[in-house]
Formats: sequence, C-alpha cells, structure tokens
Amino acid sequence: MNKNMKLFAGILVFGSLWGFSECIIGSVLKDAGLPYGSIMTGVFVLIFLVLSRITYRQPGMQLGMGVVAGTLRIFNPFGGCHLCSALAIMAEGALFEMIWYNFSFNSDNMKNITNQVSMGVITAYLVYVGGYIVTQILTPIVSGVGFYVENLIVFLPRILASGLLPGLIGAFVLPSVLQLSKLDLKIKDTLYYPTTFGVSAFCWIAVLSLWFMLGA
Amino acid sequence: MGKEKLLPVFAIAVLLIGCFSALYVNAIEVDSKTIKINNEEYTINQIFSLVNTTTIITDEGEKTGVALDDLIIKTGNICSLCNAYTFKSKDGYQQTVTWDYLKKGVLTQENRIYFSDTAHSFWVRDIVEIEVD
Repeated sequence: MNKNMKLFAGILVFGSLWGFSECIIGSVLKDAGLPYGSIMTGVFVLIFLVLSRITYRQPGMQLGMGVVAGTLRIFNPFGGCHLCSALAIMAEGALFEMIWYNFSFNSDNMKNITNQVSMGVITAYLVYVGGYIVTQILTPIVSGVGFYVENLIVFLPRILASGLLPGLIGAFVLPSVLQLSKLDLKIKDTLYYPTTFGVSAFCWIAVLSLWFMLGA
Repeated sequence: MGKEKLLPVFAIAVLLIGCFSALYVNAIEVDSKTIKINNEEYTINQIFSLVNTTTIITDEGEKTGVALDDLIIKTGNICSLCNAYTFKSKDGYQQTVTWDYLKKGVLTQENRIYFSDTAHSFWVRDIVEIEVD
C-alpha cells in the first residue's frame, strides 16, 4: 500500500471519529449536565490521539486529525460555540504534537506503569488547558470582536483548575490504550481503504444530515 | 536524568497547579444578588423596571431581555469617550465588547448576556458587574 495514502486515510478516519464524537457524544454529555469538555478530552481525544500515534508512529498526523475534527465540529447540529470548539480541537491536535515531539513508548522506562500514568496526566491536562487558552485568545480575534489580554489573565486560574478532571481521567485512559494496543488488531490490506473511507463517510454524512435536518 | 524519569514529577506538578487553582477560584468566587454597573448596584428586577425589554435572534433562537445599549444609557453611563464594556461573571470569566457589539446584546431575566452575532464565548452568564471604560 502507498504509505502516504495509508496515512491520509488514517488521518481522515481518526479525525472524523474525533469530530463525530465531539458533535454527537459531546452534545449528549452536555445535555445530561456532565462535564463534557473534560470527558471528551480525557477519554475520547486521548484515545484517538494516542492510538493513532502508536499505530502509525507518524509525527504530524495528530495535527491533521485536529484539522479534520475541528472542521467537522463547525457543523455540530446541536449548537454550542462552533468557532471556539473548532479552534480548541485544532489546537489540541497541535499541542499533542508538541508534547509528544520526539517521544517514544518503545523505551524500557515507558513500560513502567507509573510513567504511563504520568504521561496520561500530563497529556490530558496540557491538551485541555492549552486548547482552552488558545480558544480564549483566537475566538475574539477570528470573530473580529477583539482580544483583551486582561480578560484572559483574570480567568486563567479557572482554566488551570478546569484541567484537573481531564488530567485525572487521562491517568487511567492512557495506560488502558497502551494495553489495548498490545492486542495488535490489524485490518487486512484489502479491507483497509473500504473500512477507513466507509467509517469516515459515515461520520460526515451523519453529522451533516443532522445539521441540515435541524436547520443549524 | 532521562526525560522519562521526570514524568512523575511533571505529572504531580500539573496536578498541584490544578488543585491550587481550584482552591483559589473557590476562594475568590463572588456570590452577589446584584449587578454593579460602573460602581452602582442594581438588582435584576430594578434593571427590568428601568429598561424596556427587546428580543434578538441568535443561532440558538430568540432571546428576550433588556437591550444593553439602552441599559447603559438609562443607568447614566453613556459617554462619548467610552469604548469598552466589560461583562464580568461571578466565576471570574469576563468579556469585553465595543459599543457596536453592545447594541446587538441583551441581558435576560436569568442574568445572562446574549449577542445576536458573536461567538458563544461572548455569552456571559451570572453577571456580577458591567464595567465601562
């Protein structure tokens, strides 16, 4: 299989699954009154980002996934802040790349559960908090209203506090993803493209159909 | 020391930052039944008796409340040199808009501010203060 094409299909499928979960599962969690942002980042985002990194071992892929997921999030049929969420998702992909730059789970040290838990806490916390800060800066700028730095500074303690829950969730999720990856589940080459494009198409069609039906 | 060996230290550090920030936020949270508009205190009922209600259309439907520009005028805070209006929430969240955006906003009976054509991050809830600069 062409390596670039395989990677593109991987970005598309993982990014679409991420965007689909943000739109559909995130909205369900929000309506249920749960801390959906923390759960989305601590569980779903971490699973998609780490699993894709371990499977493809290709730096830069998660940035592409963030762009795909953020684009899909703009069409969230259930409302919410489309622009802020899309920007936060794209920022999360970029932040993951920075945190995991030149980082490998192959070394003996990373077979240690303490380090896996620690990496889960660090990744989930920094991705969540960083995405939050980036969207607080970029949303006023992109929407043309204007960014006031003092608004960010006074709200910074709350942003830093809000990363606690995703950080704690990440402590459990990342070691679980690593255990899951040991199962070495692989799709046959002949089924790879039909599966990845099929799943991606399902995510986009489902979100866009709901978007048109609900007149968002 | 390899970077992998520092991971637990970094993890504890970010958790401590989160914990201390949560304690700080809890300590400074304001629980007020009034809204301070340029240092004058108003209850939500006083505001609604002072200013007529209007309805705006947002991407989440119609929102009815007092027009923010009318509120600023009727509370005597209109001034030709003022160009920034900051809405502060009880949890420390705050957003600043210019008069052009202020004209498109309402304050609802639920003490929440909506604008007709801004990102939702400008919709501030649990307002405790409106500052005019």
